[in-house]
Amino acid sequence: MENDLFKALADPTRRAIFDKLAAGAMNASALRDGMKISQPAMSQHLAVLRNARLVREERQGRFVNYEVDPQGLAIMARWLAKYRAFWPARVDALKALLKDMDQ
Amino acid sequence: MNDTESDAQNKGLVLEYELDAPLEKVWRAISTAAFREKWLPRVVLADAEPISCEPCEEIRYRMRDDEPPFLESVVTFQVVPNADGGTRLRIIHQPADTRLERHPPKAANNNWSCLMRAA
Repeated sequence: MENDLFKALADPTRRAIFDKLAAGAMNASALRDGMKISQPAMSQHLAVLRNARLVREERQGRFVNYEVDPQGLAIMARWLAKYRAFWPARVDALKALLKDMDQ
Repeated sequence: MNDTESDAQNKGLVLEYELDAPLEKVWRAISTAAFREKWLPRVVLADAEPISCEPCEEIRYRMRDDEPPFLESVVTFQVVPNADGGTRLRIIHQPADTRLERHPPKAANNNWSCLMRAA
């Protein structure tokens, strides 16, 4: 499931959709505003995002609103936290290596 | 040293570091497997071979978490000379599409030296 999340976000259109929803919940047609994307394509992207638990839907009567799923966000946040600590340590090792290389 | 960081929640990490070593040396450290291994060990990579390589500019590797669920990602290292005779290293680390194909480097020379580039 967590790998689905990464695959889902690897697509630029889905990243754009996710970005839009990060600003607030909206329905599929509001999501399509300003995007060159057909309705079936939008539905497909939303299905991928939903399966990856990045987005969830909320039914309000006849309408469906989409919003960011906190579960997916939490996984993303863990990944970011891990590598935010990882890279400074790796770069320190790189700096040490550069000092050691053919003086 | 003036290391800066910026990131967007869902776009992965973008980190910049100023290194006080010339670009050619930094390039060798990030593109030569034996040197790369000393600071970025094979165990964090999904593939020891880069996905793509633009000599003295940019090299990309596929990474895989060393623990379950072994999330895959792509790291891009970009190097540019800075004003102090050193090198600015930019690290862009993003979620990967595992369907990404590896594009083998065009040059037959696997040393990827940048000494040949016009000054």
